[in-house]
Amino acid sequence: MEAALWYVLTGTRGGANRARVLRAIDERPRNANQLAEDLDLDYKTVRHHLDVLEENNVVTDSGDDYGKVYLPSEAARAHWDTVEEVLEKVI
Amino acid sequence: MLVRIVQVFAVLNVLLLAALLYVWGRNWWQLRSKHTLGLVLFSAFLLGENALAAYLFILDPTLNVWIHHDQMVPRPAQIALASFRVLQFLGLVFLTWVTWD
Repeated sequence: MEAALWYVLTGTRGGANRARVLRAIDERPRNANQLAEDLDLDYKTVRHHLDVLEENNVVTDSGDDYGKVYLPSEAARAHWDTVEEVLEKVI
Repeated sequence: MLVRIVQVFAVLNVLLLAALLYVWGRNWWQLRSKHTLGLVLFSAFLLGENALAAYLFILDPTLNVWIHHDQMVPRPAQIALASFRVLQFLGLVFLTWVTWD
């Protein structure tokens, strides 16, 4: 899990924005639309970051069909010190 | 033909590694973590290796003649030299694809 977190957040081109997405939903679960607005990112960009984060089991969603909200996964919570370490430097 | 593959793929590997070094270098500049430093060093060293290969097999007057000589570089050796570059290229293509994400 830690290796996945490091790579997804610090090893890739979109890592910094993924870290911002993760911090935002940690403060308060949000849907993709709200994230795009709050972080001033393109909706499609946010969608892509959420998909990558979900694929790597860093975030999870509420399961609703429309406007589902995203929140950090159990696995991300278990390694939150690593996440904090990254967030501190990214933002 | 095989010699051409060695030359072309050495250059292509240099380009992919430059792209990786760019992304990882930028992240390292921002994060200064040992994880990103590891990626930077990996791409820097492998970039050096491929740049050296490109120089030796394309520009260096002695080795450029040597590699084109069938008697001096028998076919199995040429196949090996070409395979190393192509296999490395395939690995780097995938790594670049996931990193550019």
